[in-house]
Amino acid sequence: MTEDTAAVYDYLVIGAGPAGMAASIEASKAGLKVLVLDQEATAGGQIYRNLGQTHPQQENVLGRDYVAGKPLLAEFMACQAEYRPGVQVWHIEAHAKGFLVAALESGKSVTFVTSDLLLANGAMERPMAIAGWQKPGVMTAGAGQILLKTSALLPKQVVLAGSGPLLLLLAQQYRAAGVTILAMLDTTPLVNYWRAIPWMLAGITTPKQLLKGIWLTLVQRFKTPYVSNVSHIEILGKDKVNGVRYTVAGPLTGPKAGRVHELHCDLVMLHQGLIPQLQMARLLGCEQHWHDAKQCWQTRMFEGGKTSVSGVQVAGDNGAIGGADLARLEGRIAGLTRALKNETGASLSTRFEGLWLKSKVKQQHWARGLVDQLYQPAPWVSNPAGDTIVCRCEQVSADQVTAIAKAGCTGVNQLKTFTRAGMGACQGRQCGLNLCHLVAQAQDRPIATVEPLTLRPPLSPITLGQLAQMPSQATDSQTGI
Amino acid sequence: MTDSLFSSLLTDTPLVPVNVNGEMCHVPDGYTVAASLLYLGHRITRQHPVSDEPRAPYCHMGVCFECLVSIDGQDNQRACLQKVIPHMSIQTFTQGAL
Repeated sequence: MTEDTAAVYDYLVIGAGPAGMAASIEASKAGLKVLVLDQEATAGGQIYRNLGQTHPQQENVLGRDYVAGKPLLAEFMACQAEYRPGVQVWHIEAHAKGFLVAALESGKSVTFVTSDLLLANGAMERPMAIAGWQKPGVMTAGAGQILLKTSALLPKQVVLAGSGPLLLLLAQQYRAAGVTILAMLDTTPLVNYWRAIPWMLAGITTPKQLLKGIWLTLVQRFKTPYVSNVSHIEILGKDKVNGVRYTVAGPLTGPKAGRVHELHCDLVMLHQGLIPQLQMARLLGCEQHWHDAKQCWQTRMFEGGKTSVSGVQVAGDNGAIGGADLARLEGRIAGLTRALKNETGASLSTRFEGLWLKSKVKQQHWARGLVDQLYQPAPWVSNPAGDTIVCRCEQVSADQVTAIAKAGCTGVNQLKTFTRAGMGACQGRQCGLNLCHLVAQAQDRPIATVEPLTLRPPLSPITLGQLAQMPSQATDSQTGI
Repeated sequence: MTDSLFSSLLTDTPLVPVNVNGEMCHVPDGYTVAASLLYLGHRITRQHPVSDEPRAPYCHMGVCFECLVSIDGQDNQRACLQKVIPHMSIQTFTQGAL
């Protein structure tokens, strides 16, 4: 028995991004025993990654929204919550006292027991499974931004491709730093602009913000080699990227529409919006649902970030993609909700009510609706075709998935048995969503009816040696691992 | 190994010695292993265990598992999640990879 299992925490927060930090601050302020586990070496999440350790030159390039996280980070570092960085959670299960969380810390097995859990482990980029996306020289736009935040690394020259606010932001940051952007291939389908019109009209209520958004978009169009209405991007090169092929859709439909272009390059960064990282919520059995506007699965959330599983909350982008400001607000609400479980102080309740109202207003903000409609992935992105690799880990192509789905496979979990798609090291993180899309398409049914991949431990690879190091109390629990 | 596709915005970061595939190299302090490999010009970091195709770091945030390398003798480590420490030993193209 180690000391780790001896202590029972009141609140275990997974993720030290804006939501996790804010929740920990509130819960520890209320006197709860809080533990924060984060897989990264420094707090801040992806949005504020490495903040506080960045050079002024980096901060100049990254901009005001990045530096804006400093007060929250400082408040978090000063709060009473116990913060353990570099911890990779690989399993969570029900326990007599609440939940047992198993993790690796510097390669060693550790376990923690907590009465309540907050999943605040954020989002990931929507997998953009285009032909050749597995080749060395392709990375995500988020990866490009992480390299800038943590290492001040900049590409010498790059092609940016896809759709979404992060891609525009990265283009702006790269331009500010003097990076050569060879091309900005915008895959936003024209139809999305029509869909977004009602939200743009709603934006007239706060014209300053709307104009800022329009300005940002236009600047990229004029200052970078911008190609709009791009489709069917294909990464060229044998062992590594040496170019990109793409189609520019014409105004007409049919086989003659669209011209194919090729461009020489050795680095491509892709982006197609963000989706919540649902592995932990799925492992815990939290109810999930398909969100049509955001085109992704989400954990069903109730008041205060509660989920269908008692004692488990979600907050921030891990619940629904809403950005850093909303994540911070939801984090505070989640922390207060947890605190209110123990004591019903009038001041706590009033504070909760105020924040809850504010978060509802923010969630229904026109800008969120605009982003959801405008940056929905094009069908050719959601539904890869041909020999495009869908499951990178097991090297399964779109055609293989479609053939099995057409042969009457019941869903993605059975498909996993037939093709191994979703069985690799990433545990379906990179293929899960596209598998659902392909099964829905092949069987001509709504994606909401396709049950996503079942999650089983370990959530990340662990050696048998590390497993054997686990304290005995942990191995005696119900599932008997 | 080829010329790096990346360069640093900063020029005055102190360097730390690391051992990559048996060769002593110097990388800026605070870099992750994945960033170090890109900085040093390693455009390919592993061979895919199923297809034998070359692969390289993709997401840099621990979700894609493409950057798996051996770090200080421990195989299948996500290079993007660990920062370099002086004299760390990094091995790309390891056998028995996931």
